[in-house]
Amino acid sequence: MFKETILKEIDDIKARYPDPKSALLPTLYIAQREFGWLSHEAMHVVAQSLNLPEAMVRGTASFYTMFKHKPMGRHLIQLCTNVSCMILGAERLVDFLKNRYSLEPNITTTDRRFSLVIMECIGACDRGPAMLVNTDFHDSLTEERIEEILEKYK
Amino acid sequence: MITININEKEIRLDKPVTVLEAARTAGIKIPTLCAHELLEAYGGCRLCVVEVERMLKLQTACTLIAADGMVIRTKSEAISNARRSILEFLLINHPLDCPVCDKAGECELQDLVNKYGATAGRFKEEKRKVPESHEDRIFTRNMERCVLCTRCVRMCNDVQGASAINIVGRGGRSRMEPFSPTSFNCEYCGNCLTVCPVGAILSRPHLHSLRPWQIDKEVETICPYCGVGCSFVVQVRDESIKRVIPRFGFGLNNGLLCSRGRFGYEVTGSQERIKVPLVRIDGKLHQSTWDYALNLIADKLKDIRDTHGGSAIAGIASPRCTNEDNYVFQKFMRMACKTNNIDSISRIGFASAQRYFEDLLGQGITANIILGLKNSDIILVLGGDPTAVNPILGLSIRAAARNGTKIAVIGNAKGLERFKTLRIVPDIFKEAEVLEYLLTEIFRAKGLRGEKPALDRKIEGLSGKSLKIDIAGLAELKDVLLSGGSVSIVLGMDVVHRSRGHRILFAVAGITYLLEARLYLLSESSNEQGLIDMGCVPDMLPGGRPLVVGDFKKRFETVWKGTIPEKGGLTLMEIIEATKDKKIKVLYVMGENPVFNLPNTSYVKEALKSLDFLVVQDIFLTETAELADVVLPASGWSEKDGTYTNLERRIQLLRKAVNTPSSADDWRTISEISSKMGYEMHYPRAEDIMEEIATVSPLYKDLTYDEIEKGNCLWPYNGEPLRGVVSEIPAAEETFREYKEGLYLAPEKILFHSGTLSRRALALRKICPEPTLKIGTNHAEKLGLKEGDNVSVSTAQGSINVQVSIDTAIKDNKVLLGNNFEGRGVFSLLNYEIDPITKVPGIEGCEVTIEKI
Repeated sequence: MFKETILKEIDDIKARYPDPKSALLPTLYIAQREFGWLSHEAMHVVAQSLNLPEAMVRGTASFYTMFKHKPMGRHLIQLCTNVSCMILGAERLVDFLKNRYSLEPNITTTDRRFSLVIMECIGACDRGPAMLVNTDFHDSLTEERIEEILEKYK
Repeated sequence: MITININEKEIRLDKPVTVLEAARTAGIKIPTLCAHELLEAYGGCRLCVVEVERMLKLQTACTLIAADGMVIRTKSEAISNARRSILEFLLINHPLDCPVCDKAGECELQDLVNKYGATAGRFKEEKRKVPESHEDRIFTRNMERCVLCTRCVRMCNDVQGASAINIVGRGGRSRMEPFSPTSFNCEYCGNCLTVCPVGAILSRPHLHSLRPWQIDKEVETICPYCGVGCSFVVQVRDESIKRVIPRFGFGLNNGLLCSRGRFGYEVTGSQERIKVPLVRIDGKLHQSTWDYALNLIADKLKDIRDTHGGSAIAGIASPRCTNEDNYVFQKFMRMACKTNNIDSISRIGFASAQRYFEDLLGQGITANIILGLKNSDIILVLGGDPTAVNPILGLSIRAAARNGTKIAVIGNAKGLERFKTLRIVPDIFKEAEVLEYLLTEIFRAKGLRGEKPALDRKIEGLSGKSLKIDIAGLAELKDVLLSGGSVSIVLGMDVVHRSRGHRILFAVAGITYLLEARLYLLSESSNEQGLIDMGCVPDMLPGGRPLVVGDFKKRFETVWKGTIPEKGGLTLMEIIEATKDKKIKVLYVMGENPVFNLPNTSYVKEALKSLDFLVVQDIFLTETAELADVVLPASGWSEKDGTYTNLERRIQLLRKAVNTPSSADDWRTISEISSKMGYEMHYPRAEDIMEEIATVSPLYKDLTYDEIEKGNCLWPYNGEPLRGVVSEIPAAEETFREYKEGLYLAPEKILFHSGTLSRRALALRKICPEPTLKIGTNHAEKLGLKEGDNVSVSTAQGSINVQVSIDTAIKDNKVLLGNNFEGRGVFSLLNYEIDPITKVPGIEGCEVTIEKI
């Protein structure tokens, strides 16, 4: 179950909407923040706290890619490889991550420091390649720059 | 008035409906996959496309509301092309494994492809591969066959309200899955099965065992389980029931079924059925012949009747037997055995409650239409979970909740947890105080009605007591009840079998009376109401006519040609106690298992052992039958014609589906014994018994099978209900009881089983194989118990070992156990104290110790 403070936070979210269903996505975010990823237990807890059917919670959560459906590293790198970023060298960066950190798409490093997900366009086509680390946005990436940035995430 | 034109045919509509519905009513067929008559329009499959003049593109008939002047065509080359293309798209991933698919022959996709073509796709891509899931106990999921019409999900969410499945993933990876990807862990109603147009969800018990074209016959009949009396169709092959299927748009369940109805039919086909009469010789039951057994019974009964009088004989009737069986049974007890000692297991709840309410509020007060629940503004639920005891009635409450009806729960109703507006949990065994508080508050706000002086006086009297109750939500509940909307009260039997249950019944009666509410009693067996109507109670003749009123008695005596004993009979527990005291020497039990189904089973067993002679008529060798001197094989529910009367007093036809030469209809056996005893009874068919009932019972006046067949035979059929006036409401001395902090054991009615009957339903045993002790989260934590732990449950009566199941809905210090499984029924651990007014064996305050083993 959630801690008291978290339950309070969820109650505040619930109070914003006439129907608890509307509080589902924000609550899933909270669960992801608290548990690291949306395990079955986490979704069960979400369902309980909103008095919603578990199957519905899972159905909704599984639709969105921004929810983690398996345990991930401490930091999630989401790198764009769509056309603009690809032309500007995103695929070289994928290779670089593999060589430098043994980090491959949909894999978590053994020290659980990083997970890599290849994502679709994040709207930075003029400054590609671009990536998100957790919720921080980084653009104009090169091999040197990406290493420099990642050093900040231990 | 809206006029539209479909295929050159003018159609007039009273209200705006969808084009699909308009076409259907006009007999024009439009193919559909995602649309279903029980579900809201979805517009997902696009197969129902039609041409509408002045609209540019093809329109989906299921979502398009007919507007005045619309000109619609349902057939054209463009439409056929569109449908063919849609089907071709569906076949991209469909495995086309019809030869090994159980749905073949009743598959909607197969039929459509057959009609519109596109037998194979032109797509060269690999088909999606999803392994078939056999991990669930009952359902097989084949997501390769699924066409994502979401009928199952919408059925589960919007109609059943279980919300156990959903579409998981997105795009090409979408699939239907339960929360746990392996097990459904749901209510197992199987309504998803019946709406699935393809073979994506199949029933494991039927897997590879049946082809729809191999059925010999289909028989429309009534479900044998609970008091709702759902209609369904049994499919028979080689004199055995192969499957139960619903019929949409038919019966009061309108095609919906629950787990017991759908999967419980196997009982009568069990190998454990008794096939020949058994007679006790030298302490052991031996196989015998019908002639010998019937003569033995007739001789013994005659002997006891003539030497000790009729009062030494008693009979226990069955709420699972038909009206015809029960009518003949009570006539036999009264006329041939000369006793009014007739009662049934319904005394524990339904019969007592119903009688109490009818005495106070008039006959038929509990005869309310289930569908009427949907029209209530407020539904008050107490004494049990309607979605477990009477699942289809429970669905009406869920549907009402969706339409904005306020659902107020007193106590525990797990199936309504997501549907309730408010719930209050009274202190343990203190429901009476809460209800009396509500009654006096309602009286203070609304005053008396002045129609029933005795009732008015007592309500006024109650309000003199100062009641101090502090329970969360009680004030809100009071406000809801007084908010002015129409109120329905759904009463379960858990608050009736109490040692002071009459206090609760009075308060409920008072609230019903002051608020002019509709009252519904939950009924666990299929014919509890019929049993009472047929006079299987110690003080009433058929039609609820009191024995003490001479005029009624004379009328029956004229038709029955004999005398009915003057003296009123004993009630169920009094019969058992009189048996122990050797005052009753012979007990005739028809289709009941008192040794297992009554509290303090060891006492009941001792009592029955002290009988001179015990006759049991049953379909199985039950715990009671094992003690009998003669056991007679009876016909089961699927083997006989007859009628059941449901809890709303709807009389419905039960039809013989299979022949079993080894057993006999209960009424036939009893009339034969009666004739042998000198009181002649000859009925060639069940219908002839109904003919007699229709002449003697003022409630079933002029009723015939033909009329029942037409449907809607609701009580009182052409007859007159009895209008009595109570002058005095009986009361018992109050005893104050203090309940400590400990845990108390109480019986639970579970969804997947019904009494001991469902033990032999293999599919139901797969769903629920073991008894489980339900315990609230707090107490489980205190005792250090986890889900599935084995524990010993001990009371002063004994001890049994069961698994623990943690139930978040239990908020008080009650632990619950069902009474279904061999040797592990809750009644073996419970003692009782008879309610002095209702004569119910009251079960309360049974302290229990739970230890992990």
